[in-house]
Amino acid sequence: MAEQLIISIGREFGSGGREIAGILAEHYNIPLLDHNLMDEIASERNLDAKELNGLDEKKRNLLLSRTVKGFNNSPEQNISQLQFSYLKEKANSGESFVVVGRCSETVLRGNKALISIFIEADMDQKIKRIEERYQLSTHEAKKKIAEKDAKRKQYHNSFCEGKWGDARNYDITVNSSRLGVADTAKLLINYVDMCRTGKA
Amino acid sequence: MRVQKNRKDKDMLSQIFAVIIFVAMFVLIVTEIAERQVISSICALLTLIFVFGIGMRDAGAVWEAINLRSIASTGFWYAAGESAQASSGINWETILFVFGMMVMVEGMAESGFFRWLCMRIAKLVHYKVIPIFMTFMVLSTVLAMFIDSITVILFLAAVTIELSRLLKFQPVPMILAEVFCANLGGSATMCGDPPNIIIGTSLGYSFADFITNTGLIVAISFVAVMIYFYLVFHKELKNINGEEVDVKTLPSPESAITDKKEFVISTMIFLTVVVLLVTHAQTGLTVSTIGLMAAVVTLVTAGKKALKLLRRVDYKTLLFFIGLFVVISGLEQTGLLEALAGFIGKISGGNVMLMIAIIIWLSAIASAFVDNIPFATTMIPIIRSLSATCGVDLTILAWSLAMGTDIGGSATPIGASANVVGIATAAREGHVIKWGKYCRKMVPATVMVVLISMLVIYARYL
Repeated sequence: MAEQLIISIGREFGSGGREIAGILAEHYNIPLLDHNLMDEIASERNLDAKELNGLDEKKRNLLLSRTVKGFNNSPEQNISQLQFSYLKEKANSGESFVVVGRCSETVLRGNKALISIFIEADMDQKIKRIEERYQLSTHEAKKKIAEKDAKRKQYHNSFCEGKWGDARNYDITVNSSRLGVADTAKLLINYVDMCRTGKA
Repeated sequence: MRVQKNRKDKDMLSQIFAVIIFVAMFVLIVTEIAERQVISSICALLTLIFVFGIGMRDAGAVWEAINLRSIASTGFWYAAGESAQASSGINWETILFVFGMMVMVEGMAESGFFRWLCMRIAKLVHYKVIPIFMTFMVLSTVLAMFIDSITVILFLAAVTIELSRLLKFQPVPMILAEVFCANLGGSATMCGDPPNIIIGTSLGYSFADFITNTGLIVAISFVAVMIYFYLVFHKELKNINGEEVDVKTLPSPESAITDKKEFVISTMIFLTVVVLLVTHAQTGLTVSTIGLMAAVVTLVTAGKKALKLLRRVDYKTLLFFIGLFVVISGLEQTGLLEALAGFIGKISGGNVMLMIAIIIWLSAIASAFVDNIPFATTMIPIIRSLSATCGVDLTILAWSLAMGTDIGGSATPIGASANVVGIATAAREGHVIKWGKYCRKMVPATVMVVLISMLVIYARYL
């Protein structure tokens, strides 16, 4: 049986993080967990996947929620916790996977198979990528990036002690603009291999 | 003249301090910047320093707020007639009673009593979904009359989710109905919901007073609530795939009992406490005495587990209550609540019907969004003052306040503790209950019961 490998990838919107995660998952022939994570949970538990996906990577609304003896009515918080438990179960069962976002670098911290990565990019590169992907103007792309990153940051920081994108919170942080998506992926594969053979 | 001006300035200063601290406490509780007991304790300390110390410069007011002398009075433990906590400040009777009930409930939970009861009822109705739905509503209402609604929902919701998996039905409608009924049941008795305990001990009402007044309103409302929830939910409660379930594969109720001896003892303690509460006006035992007795007997019979039970008591809630009483005492002693009562009296123009409507709907709407415990605690001096100044029977205002605060909390996901616990228990298993889904079903039920309460109060007392 192959040695367990869990790669957690945090990413800025438009940094190519998801694409890199896909390349890593393909290279190591392990599943990629992203939006499909909610579908997986929903199908296992006979739940409404659409409803769960609507709550994915969202932070709790403080004004509309209340905590009583550790219980909180926020759907976002409860579904995030459900997702975290699911990830932990998967990791504890010895499965290998690449997971994008979902506070996974914090949730799975302590697991020896975990390698955590954060991918950032220069703003002009991010704008270019988002303009092309969503057919947006520069202004719209910039706005979308700012909104998405603000949401990811709020979501992450509401559940984790370490800050989103802070290098101290990850094993390695990379700017994908320097090498481009493909070569950044190669660099990371090198890094993961070195970590696994103990050379890093 | 100068002395009078100085006194006026001092009064004004203490009132400003009291309002700032009170509003800050509410805002901080809502934003959950820190745990609520921390917020209320800090605000209590600030009340003692700024309102009573710097503002009023009155050491007597501090002692009145801390109210330790009430514990030393005979009336605290034994009252031949009605006994009200005449002074403002910490309502130690409530604190001691809630503590005692917490210990007793921990003992019951440890023995597996609640899970056994839920499973037993499900078995009695042959694991048929609609009969489980109806009986669990009854169970939720009846249990919440004597036990805090959080505990009731904690067990009922967990069993409902377990049964929904085994019997293949949607658990959310059942949990929503249970939550509503827990809040409804709590309003029927003096010990069911914290606002009622505070109202009862502050104004000197007995268990019998509540059950014959709010209890009657609850009985009428319960029939309407059962019909409403049946009509609203019965289609959603159908077996998801229409599969037949082999009931032999379901867990037996007896498997819930962790220790038979403990189970029998805790059930007996519970029943004795119910009898003592029902008869406390006749026996003269105050709720603080009954609470203490329940705690002592539970701990003595728990033996080695006594420490474990004591550790599980929710001291945070008790501390929250203590802080809250001090902050409200600041508002009361500076005369602010009296002024507010005067304002309500003025806008109602002395019209009792309008006064009742204001109290019941204001309490219901406020409790739907903010914690009903601080709200009820604040309103008690107001209705006391309203009764004195407008000559309205205090009991009528008290029942209006109790029904408004207890029922209003059901309207939104954050209105009452039972709602939060029920929603969270479901959501932790992936059954999401958002504000929209919750309010669509619960707001009409809340409005219906508040309306019934108001009409019953009008018909019976005016």
